[in-house]
Amino acid sequence: MAAVAALPDDVARVALDLPLRANLTALDNIALIPLYQRHFNAAESARQAQTMLDRLGHAGIAPLRDPDMTPAQRFVTKLARALILGRSRLVIDRPGAMLYDVPYPDFIRQLAEQTQSTGTWEIYDFSWNQLLYSQAPDQE
Amino acid sequence: MNFLVASIESLGAKVTGWFTVGYDIFAFLFRSILLLLDRATWNRATYDVVIKQVYFTAVQILPVFLGYALVISWLIITIILTTARDFGLTAFASEMTIRVLVLELLPFLTALFIALRSGSAINTEVALMKVNNELDALAHCKVPPMQFEFLPRLIGGVVSVITLAGLAGLLALLLSYLSIYGLSMAGFDAFTQILAKIFNLIILFGLIAKCALFGLAVTLIPITAGLETPKKLFMVPVSVLRGMMRVFFAIVAIEVVSLALKYI
Amino acid sequence: MKTLHFKVGLFAAATLLLGALFVLYILHARGFFEDTYRLQLAASTADGVAPGVPLVFSGIEIGRVSTLGLNDNGGIIIHAELLARNSKWLKENSTFTLDKPIVGGAKIRIDSPNLDAPALPENSTMLLLTSDVTKEIPILVERIKAILVNVEHLTRKDGEVNGTLANLQTMTGRMTGEYGMLEAILGSPEKARGVTDTLEKTRALITKLDSLALKMDGMAAKADTWLFAPDGVALQTREALAQVKLILADAQSSLKKADALMTNAVAISADVKEGTQDIVKLRAEIDDTVRKANAMINEINKKWPFAPDDPEVKLP
Repeated sequence: MAAVAALPDDVARVALDLPLRANLTALDNIALIPLYQRHFNAAESARQAQTMLDRLGHAGIAPLRDPDMTPAQRFVTKLARALILGRSRLVIDRPGAMLYDVPYPDFIRQLAEQTQSTGTWEIYDFSWNQLLYSQAPDQE
Repeated sequence: MNFLVASIESLGAKVTGWFTVGYDIFAFLFRSILLLLDRATWNRATYDVVIKQVYFTAVQILPVFLGYALVISWLIITIILTTARDFGLTAFASEMTIRVLVLELLPFLTALFIALRSGSAINTEVALMKVNNELDALAHCKVPPMQFEFLPRLIGGVVSVITLAGLAGLLALLLSYLSIYGLSMAGFDAFTQILAKIFNLIILFGLIAKCALFGLAVTLIPITAGLETPKKLFMVPVSVLRGMMRVFFAIVAIEVVSLALKYI
Repeated sequence: MKTLHFKVGLFAAATLLLGALFVLYILHARGFFEDTYRLQLAASTADGVAPGVPLVFSGIEIGRVSTLGLNDNGGIIIHAELLARNSKWLKENSTFTLDKPIVGGAKIRIDSPNLDAPALPENSTMLLLTSDVTKEIPILVERIKAILVNVEHLTRKDGEVNGTLANLQTMTGRMTGEYGMLEAILGSPEKARGVTDTLEKTRALITKLDSLALKMDGMAAKADTWLFAPDGVALQTREALAQVKLILADAQSSLKKADALMTNAVAISADVKEGTQDIVKLRAEIDDTVRKANAMINEINKKWPFAPDDPEVKLP
């Protein structure tokens, strides 16, 4: 899957090898981006991060840290972090590795509907999992 | 012959390694200083993290540290006073205690204390961040780890060593006054004279500079040691081991150089 | 987060406050907020005085030497600085003494015998006295040595001296004349003079030997090789010392005679009363000479590096 890692910089990625910062809460992990990339102040950054979590329907995970989250919660946080980057293309790399406790194609589809994001979502997965995405929008 | 070549080769590899390590450390220091001069660094968020770091490295351990400083100071003062009395050199005892404790021993022990407590923790954390790909994730998000992970730790280390060594020094001064003159103001003038003799401005600034260097050494070296960890989990202890060795050598080197500058 | 901020804030404020107080205190101690009181000290030599040498009053440092310089007459002028608050200890009758203790640095001691005396005006010039312990050490050591030798001698000869003195107490001296009792014992003034002359000579000899021994000391300390060179000073010294030995042997025999005489005299003096004073003096003189010569000879024997087969010089 070297192809995924070699994607250009304007692609936001959700992947197993891009973990969350372990000593920060979910909210702080997401808020890092407006805080340090766009130089919002701390309160505004936290508000934006919380809005993103609300849209994904997981407002309650804000104070949790990485080790305290379930795989689904961790995935949602990573997704929120990728979405807040505001890049036009989103790639989810091998979701099966991150979402092993939920039927993930449906889970991702549901999240995608909730966010009403404008960009494209791409899911890269192993070909033997193709059956799972019977109505999936993008496949490889 | 082969043996000779092999030993020269290994020596060369070692020297190159030292130079690489030294270069990495100073390059990192240079980058942090550049970042310090950047106005964008000084936002509320960095400030918050700095405060958090100062809290973890200095405030949290204050009672334990002051207790430890109290015991060490009391022991050293008692030893020096008793010995001085035995040899009839009481006149030099107070100057000696101040020089030994406030100028040398307490800053050194403070640096060791912070190195053991915070330096090793920083080293482990940075090594784990590196091994766990957290640094790569931050790079992917275009968030520079320098500003919110490393720079606050450097500032926290410098501030902590200066303040803790200063507080311990003041405590030692108070303790040595009480040990020599007891609970009275009788010796205040004489003590003031001795202090005036020891602390000129150069010594005072030298002390602060030394503490700042100590604080830098106990945070900068662990960070760079953590950053050069290979991405293998079993290398984390090795990285901490190397980092702490370097910290120890750096602290001793700073102390030796400061002593040499002062007395040679 | 709020309590964390509060704690860090409290810590920072307390540390800053303490640090600022300390710096202010140090500045106060160093006289930053005060006038400096200047003083000149005149001295014959700047030996041991350097900038930074403290001015000490009653064991407490109250000022320092700032600079040194020469005046037009080649004398030394030492400029000292004190804090204004400390100048009250300086009075017109204060004395300034340069102390160079064996342990510790040099310091200028200020003694103000009368604190009610008028204050010393600023910029006045005072005389700096010197009490140099290091210069006094050799003299002191010599004195101690002499005392030790005396004590040793007295304890060694205790019985004899005491006995003699006791005997002399009971003695009645009828003999008068220039040489007193000696004359009577020896039979003629010439013979008596002979004894006293011998004593004189011995004394002179000892003085010479003393200086010789000093020289030898120096030589031994300086250059062993030079001393032992075949045609170097050693040979000459050896000859000189050989002569000295002969003379000393002479002196020894004379002194022996005198000693024997003394013993006789003591025996005779049982019924002699008026010569007592003479005898006491003479006895003291002889004892003194013998003591000095003994010490001398010991020294020479100790240092004598050559010819162990020579007979040892001994005195009674």
